[in-house]
Amino acid sequence: MIELTPDLLGAVTKPARYTGGEWNAVHKDAATVACRFALSMPDVYEVGMSNLGLKILYEVLNRRADTAAERVYAPWPDMEKAMREKGLPLYSLESFSAIGDFDFLGFSLQYEMCYTNVLNMLDLAGLPVWSAARGEDAPFIVGGGPCVYNVEPVADFFDLFVIGEGEAVLGELVDAFIAWKNEGRPGGRQGFLLRAAALEGIYVPSLYEPRYDEAGRFKSLTPLHPAARPVIYKRLLADFDDAPAMTAPVVPYIGIVHDRIMLELFRGCSRGCRFCQAGIAYRPVRERSLPRLLELARQMAAATGYDEMSLTSLSSADYSCLEPLVDTLMADFAAARMSFSLPSLRVDSFSIELADKLQQIRKSGLTFAPEAGTQRLRDVINKGVTEADLMAAVGAAFRRGWKAVKLYFMMGLPTETDEDIIGIADLAKKVVDLYTEIKGKRGVKVTVSVSCFVPKPYTPFQWFPQNTLAEFDRKQRLLKEHIRDRAIQYNYHDARVSRLEGVMARGDRRLAAVLYEAWRAGAKFDGWSDQFREEYWLSAFEKCGVDPAVYNERTRDFDEPLPWSHTSPGVETGFLRREWDKAMAASLTADCRRGDCTGCGVCQRLGVRVVDGRRQDG
Amino acid sequence: MAEMKLSFLYRAAVTKGEELRYISHLDYAGAIQRAIRRAGLPAAYSEGFNPHLKISFASALAVGVTSDIEYFDLELAEPLPPLTVAKRLKATLPPGINLLELRQLRKRKGTLMAEADEAGYTVDIPLTGPAEAARAAVAAFNAAPECVFHRATPKKTRDIEVKQYMAEAIALETGGETARLTMRIRITPTGSIKPGEVLSLLVDRYGFPGDERNAGLCRRALTGQGKSLLELDD
Repeated sequence: MIELTPDLLGAVTKPARYTGGEWNAVHKDAATVACRFALSMPDVYEVGMSNLGLKILYEVLNRRADTAAERVYAPWPDMEKAMREKGLPLYSLESFSAIGDFDFLGFSLQYEMCYTNVLNMLDLAGLPVWSAARGEDAPFIVGGGPCVYNVEPVADFFDLFVIGEGEAVLGELVDAFIAWKNEGRPGGRQGFLLRAAALEGIYVPSLYEPRYDEAGRFKSLTPLHPAARPVIYKRLLADFDDAPAMTAPVVPYIGIVHDRIMLELFRGCSRGCRFCQAGIAYRPVRERSLPRLLELARQMAAATGYDEMSLTSLSSADYSCLEPLVDTLMADFAAARMSFSLPSLRVDSFSIELADKLQQIRKSGLTFAPEAGTQRLRDVINKGVTEADLMAAVGAAFRRGWKAVKLYFMMGLPTETDEDIIGIADLAKKVVDLYTEIKGKRGVKVTVSVSCFVPKPYTPFQWFPQNTLAEFDRKQRLLKEHIRDRAIQYNYHDARVSRLEGVMARGDRRLAAVLYEAWRAGAKFDGWSDQFREEYWLSAFEKCGVDPAVYNERTRDFDEPLPWSHTSPGVETGFLRREWDKAMAASLTADCRRGDCTGCGVCQRLGVRVVDGRRQDG
Repeated sequence: MAEMKLSFLYRAAVTKGEELRYISHLDYAGAIQRAIRRAGLPAAYSEGFNPHLKISFASALAVGVTSDIEYFDLELAEPLPPLTVAKRLKATLPPGINLLELRQLRKRKGTLMAEADEAGYTVDIPLTGPAEAARAAVAAFNAAPECVFHRATPKKTRDIEVKQYMAEAIALETGGETARLTMRIRITPTGSIKPGEVLSLLVDRYGFPGDERNAGLCRRALTGQGKSLLELDD
């Protein structure tokens, strides 16, 4: 058991990140369980504690009498320094056990810029960062989350990956572990990994070998063992309504990023935005029923005491029973003064009416994501939003008293021209003018937030080159020059971070050496702008002789082998190809949620179907 | 005219245990509010856009300080027997917050914050030098007619005369490698001093031989006119 002394905790920022003891935290005696599973997100407590997937897995695993799941997050650099000085290893927040004493350490990989933190946490736990160097007694290092759709840059640091929805797989993994343990660990570490590889949805990277051609292009990932499947398809819950759910999430003492109840209305989104990896990765749409959601809402409210509930999903306004759900929730929780929020607003007046109903009188800002500045480019990315939609939605909001609007855009999208960039400024100006027209006075605040597009695997844009740093820089300045109204606030992302994200997103195993060197030089918390140091990365690329542009700035051939093709969300490459062609023709594809099948292949491949309350054949 | 709503006032005494040493006062208050909501108590809420539970605390406790006794006033919209309120609350308070006592107040009085005028603390501190040196430092502090603490916050800095807030001389017990300081500090409408600040003065100014960074601070009592805040209603 790790002991934290007052001199240590008294000297670090936010010491409550490190002391556990929260309501609903589950404390089990290690001696009474067969499997100890540490769940982690390689980021700071407030971020890790906000992750819905980890909350679900924590409860699902702890419902098993034979398993104890505990939490661990990345200590902030001040705490890390203090721990290293005192020789304290990374520990769990429940039993204060050293992480090295667990059977599994699972990382939720939400985005690429967390990779150096994984290495740093393994090192802080006293574990070798390379999987090949870990001994028989080390925990099995497990990865999951959206990054598994190209996990090759970190493949050599992990023992196995869970592809798809963890609730559908982890139970089988734990069963396999306990059986192997009870049989006396036959075959040692490798013996268990072979058993794990036999489970559907588990990828054991050490059972494969990458091959490259003479020109240094990725050629194939070759299975080295009969247990290694050529392609590992994602696992998912066919019946989301009936699936094990979160009912009593841990309630933190300190404020976290999403400090409220998260009621998950449905999984998946098939609106088909062509830049969006989540839209492919979580298909198909599977709704929860209204009675089930009301039951979960009541359970979580009673178990947590929160006074705020978020109706969470990739596109919550699309829930088929949203109005009765909202009306019932508001009536049920009126006495408890529960407030509700809808995190993903559609650009239409229905969403405004709902937001108005939910917010009652408070009129904080509304957020919309037109994503691109012109209709042509919005059609290219299949963002089914017109300028008329946006003006109608924003106008409805202004009439209902909102005075602040936030608009999200991307730059660097395929076929983008300067006209599209200037279109962002024009659109923002039209929103400002609309306010003045409706209210007869100025006084609106429009925030334009522009990120740098990162092409992701398993999207129709997976073959497309990311813009260069110079090009992002030029476009950012171009846009700035065209924003002249002082009611518009312009924010943009650090292109150097997006570039690195772009390299990792479509990288291969040769990037492991770069990651390792960058981490050795001091890279960590790369997603935090105040912590990011590009120089660590630039020298790491140079030292390893790796040209990052090969990964992110190159147009890939359609028939070129892709290093991520063996961990698949089930989508057919032919569908992505057709969507690319339609993008080039600025032609739209409809949502299959309530309409016809668009032929992405996921349902057929995985034997599941769309579950939506308003679907005719449902 | 706003509708007059009846509300029923309760006063509770609770602890802030070792588990919660590093929780700020605001987060501690938030934890109690969530416990009240979990208990399903018919709490009274403020009116307005952003309704909040009607609850008030006596005196904020600094991060790093535990307490044997804290007080809060709570308003309910229905008159439940105090035993019922206590029983339900006990079941939902997190580890480290023990409900010591809960009473219904017969009539609304001043705020708890105004009632509390003195707090007692103990400081358990590892000694880094001889016990005689510790005794000498405490004696010198106690004998000083005045002593100024320089309080620096990110926003402003201020010089505070400390002795005006010391209700009695600091008592010192030494045993082996640690010492216990006992102090009673006045809480006035114009200000007070924190026990940690007094400790800093002892160490920095008077040469108290102690490991300040590993000191354990605990509030032992919070009183008004020499009486427990639970007795004030009588």
